[in-house]
Amino acid sequence: MEKKIFERPYIKKIRAGMPSKFGKPVKIDPLPFIDDLPVEELIKQYGSPLFVISEKTIRETFRKAKMAFETRYPRVQFAWSYKTNYLDAVCRIFHQEDAWAEVVSGFEYEKAEKNGVAGNKIIFNGPDKSLSDLKKASENDSLIHIDHFDELYDLIEVAKKMDHKPRVAIRVNMDTGVYPIWDRFGFNYENGDAWDAINRIVRSEKLELSGLHCHIGTYMLSTEAYRRAASKLGELAVRAFHRHNTLIKYIDIGGGFATQNTLKGAYYQGYDTAPSFDEYAESITSALLDVNFPDNKLPLLILETGRALIDDAGFLLGTVLANKRLSGGNRATILDVGVNNLFTSFWYDHEVNPVKDTSDHFEESTFFGPLCMNIDVIRDAISFPLLRKGDQFVIKRIGAYNMTQWMQFITYRPNVVLIDINGSTHVIRKMEDLNAVTAGESVPDHLQKI
Amino acid sequence: MMRLNTVSPGSIIKGLLNSYAQIFFSDHILFGMILLLITFFDLVAGFSGLIAVTTAHLISYLMGFDKNRIRRGVYGFNCLLVGLGIGIQFEPGFLLFFVVVFAAVFTIFLTIAMQGVIGKYTLPYLSLPFLFSFWLMLIATNELTALGISERAIYTFNDLYTLGGHRLVHVYEWWHSMAIPESLRVYFLSLGAIFFQFNVLAGLIVGIGLLIASRISFTLSLLGFYTAYLFYHWVGADITGLTYSYIGFNYILTSIAIGGFFIIPSWKSYLWVVILMPVVALVTIAFSNIFAVFSLPIYSLPFNIVVIIFLYTLKLRIDPDPGLAEVYIQENTPEKNLYSFINSRSRFGLLSGNSIILPFFGKWNVSQGHRGEYTHKEAWKEAWDFIITDEKGSQFKDRGDYPENYYCYGKSVLAPSDGWVESVTGNVPDNIIGEVNVHQNWGNSVVIKHTDYLYSAVSHLQPGSITVKPGTMVKKGDVIGKCGNSGRSPYPHLHFQIQQSPLVGAPTLKYPLSYYIKYGKDTLKLCTFEIPEKGDLLSNIEQNEILKNGLNFLAYKTLNFKVNDKRIKWEVQIDPFNNTYLECQESGARAYFTFDDYMLYFKFFKGSRESLLYYFFLAFYKIQTGFYQGIEVKDLITPNYIFSKSRLFLQDIFAPFFLFLSAEYRMQYISRDNELDPSKITLQSEITVKSFGRSFSGPKFEIILNTDGIEEFKIIDRDIITEAVCIRESTS
Repeated sequence: MEKKIFERPYIKKIRAGMPSKFGKPVKIDPLPFIDDLPVEELIKQYGSPLFVISEKTIRETFRKAKMAFETRYPRVQFAWSYKTNYLDAVCRIFHQEDAWAEVVSGFEYEKAEKNGVAGNKIIFNGPDKSLSDLKKASENDSLIHIDHFDELYDLIEVAKKMDHKPRVAIRVNMDTGVYPIWDRFGFNYENGDAWDAINRIVRSEKLELSGLHCHIGTYMLSTEAYRRAASKLGELAVRAFHRHNTLIKYIDIGGGFATQNTLKGAYYQGYDTAPSFDEYAESITSALLDVNFPDNKLPLLILETGRALIDDAGFLLGTVLANKRLSGGNRATILDVGVNNLFTSFWYDHEVNPVKDTSDHFEESTFFGPLCMNIDVIRDAISFPLLRKGDQFVIKRIGAYNMTQWMQFITYRPNVVLIDINGSTHVIRKMEDLNAVTAGESVPDHLQKI
Repeated sequence: MMRLNTVSPGSIIKGLLNSYAQIFFSDHILFGMILLLITFFDLVAGFSGLIAVTTAHLISYLMGFDKNRIRRGVYGFNCLLVGLGIGIQFEPGFLLFFVVVFAAVFTIFLTIAMQGVIGKYTLPYLSLPFLFSFWLMLIATNELTALGISERAIYTFNDLYTLGGHRLVHVYEWWHSMAIPESLRVYFLSLGAIFFQFNVLAGLIVGIGLLIASRISFTLSLLGFYTAYLFYHWVGADITGLTYSYIGFNYILTSIAIGGFFIIPSWKSYLWVVILMPVVALVTIAFSNIFAVFSLPIYSLPFNIVVIIFLYTLKLRIDPDPGLAEVYIQENTPEKNLYSFINSRSRFGLLSGNSIILPFFGKWNVSQGHRGEYTHKEAWKEAWDFIITDEKGSQFKDRGDYPENYYCYGKSVLAPSDGWVESVTGNVPDNIIGEVNVHQNWGNSVVIKHTDYLYSAVSHLQPGSITVKPGTMVKKGDVIGKCGNSGRSPYPHLHFQIQQSPLVGAPTLKYPLSYYIKYGKDTLKLCTFEIPEKGDLLSNIEQNEILKNGLNFLAYKTLNFKVNDKRIKWEVQIDPFNNTYLECQESGARAYFTFDDYMLYFKFFKGSRESLLYYFFLAFYKIQTGFYQGIEVKDLITPNYIFSKSRLFLQDIFAPFFLFLSAEYRMQYISRDNELDPSKITLQSEITVKSFGRSFSGPKFEIILNTDGIEEFKIIDRDIITEAVCIRESTS
């Protein structure tokens, strides 16, 4: 007979019968497999902590999103938002699924090029584009989304020396009923800056105004905001045609779709509040179909959603390092996963699942990371069954932003493993070692000797 | 239009020669010349024939009859026969030619009258005008003793001697001394007898001419004749009747008319020839006896009776057999008719005037097709049900307990073609999943009228979602409502049908969808004029502006090309029958095409195969206006556009049964400079020639289009590359 796990005796009020106002008692299901591969085996083979990405989930999610839009609007194009996850393998899955690339820096632009994305399928966003970035993007016929007037002037200068007109769009910010307005990016719609920018672009005769872009926010829980944004961009497109005879070829509605992660401080769980792709698609496409576009020619609808396409495909696997009692008697569990790896734990109350079956007894605990830093908290006040040293766990929905915003801090960043559609695993980013971390360093001569 | 109305000396001569060839349903100029020559075997008859035709044409032109028909010789040939008949019957003299002129006048009026009477049943008048006219002449001239009955035709040697002296007589004797089978002799006599030439030599020359003009007609002439010949033997009828009266041509002409000219040649038409020959024989024998009472020969009466009655009965078919198809556009040779028919059947079999697209955005599945197992039965068998399925083939997410869980629910429904909204039902509630509302079977529906007898209906829409009202004009692709679950709909789906009447729930009409893409596992297939089947995953075609604009050759525009410093100019023309074609000003070559925004088709080509237009015709044979890498546009090219006449000789004979020569056209989308807003598109097409089951690669083409239209096209033919660059002139 297997030896039973020792559990400390405790006293708990019996709440049998009707659910309380907080609902039924929580039961956390274990998550022993990812794409039919045992988590234990993965950790055994690739170490802990470990990032795991499911190619199957990526493709399924992408196709679901694509279907939601394409069955509502005839011309749809997705562009993979590099900043969300720019591991080459991940990007290439999206490109294989026919997504373009959406980049926000020279570095990301280089990465997209390296991944074999044609220049004219790269959308160049963001407020920071150097003159050389602009020059390269223009030469490659990329779609440059202008963020501010200074950039517009730079680009006009660049275009003067080109033999073809760079294709541009302007990023527009607007009041969509969601506050605060993200007015730090792009040109404002309500105060006329956006219209002013359109006029200047057309009058310059050096740039070709191909599209209009907006990105109304992040983790948007209101689909109505998108409806308003799409209507306003559509209205601008019609106005540009009537005033300048400029046909807007595409409308880029950006991203910001929410996932089922629960934001810190949210009253309801993420999976109760996050709209589905269908709901976003319905708002956006119905607004666009209502716009009276010139010549009845619907512009291409571009979507740059990142988070909603990748979050569910990422898992962070870890191991319990220790348990301890804090001074107030609260329980604390120390994990080998810290904020250095799980950057998004600053925003979300991440869902943590044990790998094995646990007891039904829950206790409020705090999950600390392994860093020698007080802020290294993965979850505070989580009601969780007791874990012991060496127990493994899985943090779900971490595909977005973590593999780009992670820090090499105190320790190395772990392996990233991709499970392909056949169930084979591939290390797509090797765990760092000393050489990798210090590769860029150099020691002056006088410090060679200590 | 101007072109048709001008009367040039060329067209007059063509009309005269065609009047000769038209007797064998041909417009072959050489054949016409041969026949003209034959008639001059008897000088008097030859002249009187020519006088009759000339008179007929003169009157036709003066009175302003259809110049096109005059040029095709269809007004002249009856007069010709009358002229020949009178010429052979009587002694030469001024009076004879005088009578011929007036006989011709009468015959042309009779021809026109017959056209009016029989033509309205879209039947040919064949040689009926000749028969009536000539019988009347024969009866009338009994009184005109001054004419004098000729005995020329009875003494063949005398005729030959006057015509060709000793030499011709020798040739004739040599020919007769040859061991030529009796049946073949009768056959040639019969051929000659059509022109009142009662000798084998004339028949032989006619036979050769017929072979040159049409292999199928020639084969049919033998088939018809020998069937009748064998029938006479078999029933023990008096074969001398066939020999002496020379009315064997009735079988020959009937055979050509039914086997290949008025009906598309096929094994079925050949079978009908065999079946009808005994009928013609019986009619011949019967009428010969009746007409003997009046001392009148029956000439081609049996041919006229049988052909006209048979063609008329064909028109009354309710469910016509496509294997026995009538010729609608007469091209005057059975071969051309057949090749055009194969061309149009395989390429435009279901071509319809109104193009119908799928009534939705994105990819949908056919959950029930025509003659479906659930509800598409009986009068409503030709309808489709569409749903959306995900990766795993499921049509809903979660547990599918609510309509909202179904992927198709709430998706936009589009107008499948331009039209007016006929009726709208909009307030039937959606069903609970699994339940059906049989009281309001169709649920919320929109019926759109496209033409007087073409309506489309979409049903089971969401209540309150319909955005159009009766009378609203809709364009193809406009959103008219949302997919729902109302009416007899256990789960959300879109019912789509084409019908001939405006009522909701009217019986369906079998009507193809014009263009759509069918998705396989890793493949795309372009479907044109096809009927989607259950399980198909489909979407509409997304058109490309460059292709759509560049391939839209607007009427009266010109296309200028530069090939090796030589400039070539084509004009886009429309004829009175609304056929559009490109015409090369220099060579006169014409390439007929149709364009309907989604597809450019080249249908026919006339003219020199050396011309650039011929290669253009091949290069642009079929191009669809959506840019889809991975799609191959394929089409059949009938052998008459590819092979030389000598290589076609044998094929022509067997064409009604099978093609061993053919060619395939394949077109692919190679590249575009960018996806969003391309300014340059490259296409490639090639011809594969197939001969006796073996394939050879033919010419290849590279086509480049830009925002202005065609930029250039390259012809790669046996390592020789020819570049044709399109030159644009300013519109002023």
